[in-house]
This record gives sequence, C-alpha cells and structure tokens, in this order.
Amino acid sequence: MGQSVKPISSPVPDEWYPTLAVFMLAIGLVVTASFFVYEATSSRKNRSLAKELTTGAVASVFLGFGSLFLLLACGVYV
Amino acid sequence: MGFRFDLFLLSVAILLAPSLSDLVISKVDRRIDLTSQIVRISATLKVENVGPDPVLEVLLPFPDHQAKNLAYLATTTNEGKGKSKGPATSLPIEVVQPNEMPPALTWYSVSLPKGLGKGESLTLDILAVFTHALRPFPEKISQAENQLVAFQESAHYLSPYIVKVQLLSVKLPPDFKPESYTKLERSELSGSEIKYGPYENLPPFSYSPIIVHFGNNQPFAVAQELLREIEISHWGNVQVTEHYNLIHGGSQIKGEFSRLDYQARPHVGGASAFRHLVANLPPRAHSVYYRDEIGNISTSNLWGDSKKTQLEIEPRYPMFGGWRTSFTIGYGLPLKDFLFQSEGKRFLNISFGSPIRDLVIDNLIVKVVLPEGSKDVSVSAPFPVKQWHEIKFSHLDIDGRPVVVLEKTNVVQEHSQYFQVYYKFNNVSLLREPLMLIFGFFFMFIACIVYVHADLTISKSSASYVAKLQWDEVKTAIQQVQNIINRCLTVHDRLDATLRDLSRTGDVQACKVARKAADSLLKDLSKELKPLLAFLHSSPQAAQILPKVEDLVAKEHELQEKLMLKHSTVIEGYEKKSGGREMENRVALIQQKLTALRQEVDDLLEVIDEI
Repeated sequence: MGQSVKPISSPVPDEWYPTLAVFMLAIGLVVTASFFVYEATSSRKNRSLAKELTTGAVASVFLGFGSLFLLLACGVYV
Repeated sequence: MGFRFDLFLLSVAILLAPSLSDLVISKVDRRIDLTSQIVRISATLKVENVGPDPVLEVLLPFPDHQAKNLAYLATTTNEGKGKSKGPATSLPIEVVQPNEMPPALTWYSVSLPKGLGKGESLTLDILAVFTHALRPFPEKISQAENQLVAFQESAHYLSPYIVKVQLLSVKLPPDFKPESYTKLERSELSGSEIKYGPYENLPPFSYSPIIVHFGNNQPFAVAQELLREIEISHWGNVQVTEHYNLIHGGSQIKGEFSRLDYQARPHVGGASAFRHLVANLPPRAHSVYYRDEIGNISTSNLWGDSKKTQLEIEPRYPMFGGWRTSFTIGYGLPLKDFLFQSEGKRFLNISFGSPIRDLVIDNLIVKVVLPEGSKDVSVSAPFPVKQWHEIKFSHLDIDGRPVVVLEKTNVVQEHSQYFQVYYKFNNVSLLREPLMLIFGFFFMFIACIVYVHADLTISKSSASYVAKLQWDEVKTAIQQVQNIINRCLTVHDRLDATLRDLSRTGDVQACKVARKAADSLLKDLSKELKPLLAFLHSSPQAAQILPKVEDLVAKEHELQEKLMLKHSTVIEGYEKKSGGREMENRVALIQQKLTALRQEVDDLLEVIDEI
C-alpha cells in the first residue's frame, strides 16, 4: 500500500448516534406537534400555506435525520 | 480397502525415463503433516542446472487423484544463502500440459523470473495443501470407536528430474500409534513420526506407493457451502454475515447415538465427534451473533483483546461422522479498519476465507455488497476466483446495491488472505438515505395539509354544510379580532416600556414620539376591527359569542384610554416637574385599574379561545 492510502470513517462518529437520534427526534416531534396544533386550531381562511409548508419541512428534516440516526444506533446500517 | 497402486503410472514411468531437461534435484526434503484433516506437504527442493542452457521453469507433477484434492500450492524461494537469507519471494505457478508426458499426471509449472544459468542452483520451498486426502477406514464406526484414516503417497518424490538425495517424514497426530504403514527399506517409526529415506540417485518418475493407516480424532469439519456476505455502510460499519452448511467429513457413525454415553464420558463415548468450533474474528468486531433457522443458539463464548476477537461456537448437538448442521454467524466491523481511499478510489481490504480454524470449505461464495451509488467496481484477489456481479435490494434502496460475487472451491486456511474490492463513490450519495426519509415524512405532512385544505363534502347545499361554512367565517373573524387585540396589547406594552425608559433617561421628547406612533397604530387597528365587528353583528351564528367579543373590545378600549391617561399624566408630571409624591399617587391609582383591566382582557381572550 502506498502513502496516499488513508482509512475512511463515517462522517459522524458512531458514538454520537444515540444522542443525535434522541435530540433530533425530540425536536422533530415538537415541531410536528406544533404543525398539527396549527392545522387543528387555525380556521380555514386564516391558515397560511407557507407557514404550514415551512413547519412541515423543518419537522421532516429533523424527523428524517432523527430516524436515520435511530436506525444507525440500533445497528441497522443503511 | 482398495489400495490403489498406480501400476499403470508406474509402468509408464519406467518406460518413459528420459530426463526432461538439464535440471537435477540434488536434494529433496519432504514433510507431510497429517495432524489435522488437512494434509500439508511442504517440500524443500534444491534444484541444480547441469545443462548448458538457462532454465526458466521447474515442473511439479502431481498424480491426478491427488491433484483433484489440491487446494493450495505455493512456491517460495530464498535469495542468498546461510544467514544472509533474504525475504522469501513467492513464484508464479500455472497449470501446463507438456507434450509426451505420462498420463494421469497434472503438471504445475513454477516460473523462475531470473532463470537458472549453467551450474547454478536454487532452493525452492513448496507448500501443497490437500483436502479430502485422508480416507476414513473403516468408513463406518460406532460411537465409542476412534476414527481411523488412511493416507496414500509415494515414498519417492515424483519428479520429471533425476533426484539425487531424498528424505520423507510423515507427522501423525501424537495421541495414537499408527495402525500400519508401508514398510520399505530404510523406513523408521519414531514416536509419532515415520521417516523414509534417504534414497539416492533415483531416476525420473520414480514412484513407490506407501500407505499410512492411523487414528485421527481431529475435527473433520467440512463446510460444504459457505456464503459470506460483506456489506459496507459508509455510515461506519462493515457487516459480515456467514452462512455455514457444515458436515463432519470423517468416518460415518453407525448404530445408535447414546446421549448418556456421550455425556458421561465424552472422550470415550464420542471420541470422533467434535463439539465446538473456534472462529478468530478481526479485532474490534462487535454485535456478534450466532443463530440458525429456529433462532439464537446460546452456546457460544466470546473473548476479545486488541489483537483479535475469539468466538467459540457450539452446534446444537455434538457433530459425529456424517452429521450435518447449518448455522449463521454475523458480526460488525469498524469501517476505518477495512475501508481505505487511494487515488480517488475507495477499496475494501478484507480477508477472503472463513475465520473458523481448520475448516475445509468445499464451495465458498463471497459477496461484497457495496453502498448504493458505487461505480467502476473491480476486484483484485491473490488467487484465481470466479466472479460476477449482482444487484441487491436492502434498506432504503432505490436502484439497488452493486454486489461482487466471488466463488472458489476447495478453500483452506491458507486462502485467508486479503483481497481488495475497488470502487468509486461520491460522498453526496451518502445523503440518499436521509433524503429519502426526509421526503417520506414531508409527503406525510403534505398529505395532512391537502386533507385539511380539501373540501370533501359531497352535498354543498345541505343545511349543516352551510352552517359549518358560516361558523368557519365567524371563527375566522373572531381569530382576527383576537389577533388585533393581541397586537393592541403589544402596542400597550411597548408604550409602557417607553415610560420606564423615561424614568431612567428623562427623554420626554422620545416618549412623545412613541406616543404619537402608538396612537396612529392603535387607530389603524381599531379601523381594522370595525368591519369584523360589523360582520359578527350581522351573523346569526355569532350571537352567542358576540357579547364576549364586544366585552373584550370595550375592555380593551378602556384599557387603552387608561394607558393614555397614565402616559399623559407621567409626561405632564415631567414637564411641570411637579412633586413626585402627588404624581406617584395618581399614577398608582391608574396603574391599579390598568392591571385589573389587563387581567380581564386576558381572561376574556382565554374564554374566547376556548370556544
């Protein structure tokens, strides 16, 4: 093996996966909750689509990464 | 037992005795290791060129019946002599078919890269490993018997060259005396070793069959099929899963199996059986499991240190001759120990063979599952293997993961060498899985938004639907009112804050400006409020809630007035520089009312909120 060979490791250290999973899922679930609270309480005319979409997008980013890290922490290496 | 003297071969060998080339083997020292189920023959050859021309290859013939069991053949040579021996270099070997040679022989040709000039000599170390070369004899034994096996070889080194001096030693397992062995002149048994020779000046193709019959209770574990699946995840793991299909390849057991005998005296009641296997896993292996079709097998032990991880597994039952078992072991390995980057390419560097000790594998299939999005896959293996490509679908895949499949028959410990799988991978592809999850969740939210926005009523003219629409409008109006009131309250708070600033800085002018701004804001807000209130008045559905709303608006108005009063009073006090106490009293009075009103407004807001 030459000198230019260097080992590859994961972009995020393995030990962080459980912590990341917990925090990102917690944040994601809180944002999801606020999304549904908004959906349920605001009346048809007052609702703003932009706000719904941004809340949904933020929640899905957190839930997406959170569930990925949850899978990784459980040993399901995707 | 049919002792198969290769009479034909012998006769041919004697007839065809011309020396192949100008090579002469001046000394052969062969050591045959029969202590396990695998036969390892190591030979040290001293080759001399007596002819005028340089020689580029040395031929190694094996009888066909041996060659078909040949699992591994390696030749090394040491440059230099005596103590100044250099590192051993391995020489390339290929199968050849020379003309006018006796049949029933398989020929291997060792190339000498530098060639052997006239009068020069060279020492070759040859290691040949054979599987299934020990024949159980008798083929069937009872539970209490020891396993006996027979091995057939030639006392003379089979070679197309003249062999000047040769020695052979056969090492047997130390626990038993050999049952029998072919006695030739100059053969000798000492301890567990049989020595033949030295024999001198034998012509080419000398063949003198010998048979050794001895006891061998070593585990004859043969994996008829082993599937190793190595899955790379760039999120930090190399997952290895090995599916074994194992058989005890020694003498078959006849009669009944008595668990009592086995349990009471395992060395007498089950000498030929093996009860456990040991696997040497790489260091830092984690999440090790051992299971079969019906679930986890609990009889396993695991030790680990910084150099290796040792896994001892025990099949569900002791393995007697001819008995089979199949199981799966799996483990995760840290990515950084096995995956490397070099010149824009990534490569996996991992061991080819099974980690289980002293295992013969009839058919080994290694599958390397690369991450989705890998391109330009190529394999470099230290020995020839059959290879092809596949696609595997696993978690969160769209177009599947590329799989390289390597297949090799007759694999032994010596094949546990590192091989490399090269591929190209873009780090952006790492984000595929999270993006899929994110879009999955996002579509769920979109679905919710669509559901909430969609009007799914079938009868658009029914009374209840109209009522619902009206109620929606009322709700909208009320929410807007709430919103405006809240904004008013914020303006109040801000104005109040300027008063506090005033007491600190004494800047009356700033306070006045703030007052003016607040006034205009509040005026705008009350203008906005008017049509909403008018609508609520006109709507029959709002009748119930209207008093509360009006109350709220009125209270807010009062609050506003009182606040303005307080503001004017304070400013006035400042401008006139009137006595602190008097002003304080007045302000305190107003403040009391303000607090009460604020409380009422908040309560009303809450009440309306709950409707």
